[in-house]
Amino acid sequence: MHGFFASPAVQLGAGIGAAVAIVAATLGVFTVIRSQAFAGESMGDIGTAGGAGAYLLSVGPVLGFAAATTAAAAIMELLGVQRARGRDLVTGVVLGAGFALSALLLYVATTDNTTSGTTSTVMFGSLFALRSSDLALTLSLAAIALGVTLALFRPLLLASTDTDLAAAQGLPLRLLGFAYLLALAIAVALAALTVGSILSTALLVGPAATALKLTDRPLRAVVYASVIGIGAVWLGLVLAYDSYDWPPAHHGWPASFFIVALVLCAYLAGGGWRRWADRRAA
Amino acid sequence: MRTLTLAAAAAAGLAISACGITRVSAKPGQIVAIGAENEYANVISQIGGRYVKTDAVMSNPNTDPHTFEASPSVAADVSQAQLVVQNGLGYDDFMSKIEAASPNSKRKVLNVQHTLGLPDSTPNPHLWYSPGYITRAAVGIASDLSALQPSHASYFQANLRRFKQSLAPLQHAISAFARQHPATPVATTEPVADYLLTAAGTHNLTPFTFQADVMNGVDPAPQAIKAQNSLLSGRKVKVFVYNQQVTDTMTQGFLKLASQHHVPEVGVYETMPTGYNYQSWMLAELKAMNRAVVTGRSTARL
Repeated sequence: MHGFFASPAVQLGAGIGAAVAIVAATLGVFTVIRSQAFAGESMGDIGTAGGAGAYLLSVGPVLGFAAATTAAAAIMELLGVQRARGRDLVTGVVLGAGFALSALLLYVATTDNTTSGTTSTVMFGSLFALRSSDLALTLSLAAIALGVTLALFRPLLLASTDTDLAAAQGLPLRLLGFAYLLALAIAVALAALTVGSILSTALLVGPAATALKLTDRPLRAVVYASVIGIGAVWLGLVLAYDSYDWPPAHHGWPASFFIVALVLCAYLAGGGWRRWADRRAA
Repeated sequence: MRTLTLAAAAAAGLAISACGITRVSAKPGQIVAIGAENEYANVISQIGGRYVKTDAVMSNPNTDPHTFEASPSVAADVSQAQLVVQNGLGYDDFMSKIEAASPNSKRKVLNVQHTLGLPDSTPNPHLWYSPGYITRAAVGIASDLSALQPSHASYFQANLRRFKQSLAPLQHAISAFARQHPATPVATTEPVADYLLTAAGTHNLTPFTFQADVMNGVDPAPQAIKAQNSLLSGRKVKVFVYNQQVTDTMTQGFLKLASQHHVPEVGVYETMPTGYNYQSWMLAELKAMNRAVVTGRSTARL
């Protein structure tokens, strides 16, 4: 723990990590309710292309992630991801194309560019290596995604839980679905910045799924998921910092490993608690 | 049927592109040789002279050789080569893969690691930065070339003697640096020039784990970055030596810190820069080091 709070890398990681955890938790609750975890996972994977592209253009990774995930959301929308039938098919097709683009850009980045660790950083994250110049953009994106989701909270919730009733009430379902998809794209991009594009889905779905085991009320689930997410990110940061003294000495373990492992632990504990509570109620 | 046509078209396309980018065009009687890195190719051509046509696989100073992947054109070159010189120690593993893909019992492969008898666990693969190692590699190259063209053996041996003599100014400069600036404390980003720095008697204060992380493209731990920062901000080192070919945002941060605290910076090259041969390249970097220690002047590029 020595010097933990004094390290600028830790301060930046903890700040951005907390903001990201809140956004991911909020969108995650809707993703779990709408059963669209696969779309979230795919957006994260496609984000890989954006992360690699950002390295090639020497811009901040968050810009690349957000551009790629937003583009993926738009293409999914165009191809008709909102129809429940064939939804996984559309997602899968877009995912395949995104991976192909990732393969190309990562190949170019590692062979023609001078940054040798690009692949691992983009895919598995590097919370200690965030750039302070990305702070403003990251927080603005977080505010946009959170603002849109909270503003549309009630109608989006109804559209997600009872499509027929929502349609009967005259809610613009397609527009709501697209707004959700765009907010999800931002949340995934931010999660990719924290734990990497491949692992982003863990931060998106994990805390939300855990929270929905603890409570059935969506707004409460958002709060629980945010607390779980922030807890996992901060505890993960502490463990990653301390792992500097673990074998192999003086390398440190990746923060994303600890964060995702903690999310999994929380999910297992949540499941256990739910079973215990159900048995007691019965 | 359609897949078959497609496959045939793809195969034809591959064959055409493979022929189209082959660069080796040896005159009759010339040995075709390849250096996996351009510094080894340079030594081959100095020893082989007019009887050898040498090509280098990696000579783009803007590419990090650790992440290089071979293209079909390299495979085509290797299939024609009679002598291949590669570094070993996992630095250019792709060469072994290409050689295995185009077996040729007459081709000689000189793996510098094996020539030097170094174990696979050797942490620093940048062997050519040691003039002693490069001399032993040159001896191996001369004997391989002599075996390939016994009629020109005396010519190759004469070139080897000339090569060894031409290393004398570098050797003198190294011992002069070690004598005049004993145990100079330095900081580095990567172990690129570590063999030269050790030969010059410097004391590298950057922990090897940090250098290995940067070399392998892993983000070093915050503690390690803090320690490196304090070497620069506390002016505990006389020179900051960084890999000129791999500069990311972290290296930029160190460079900024070094300038702020008036620690001179010296950029070193992982592959030989254009306009130099092996000897003049090493000598230029050592002179840049000397200039940094004596006058405090930085050298970003050669």
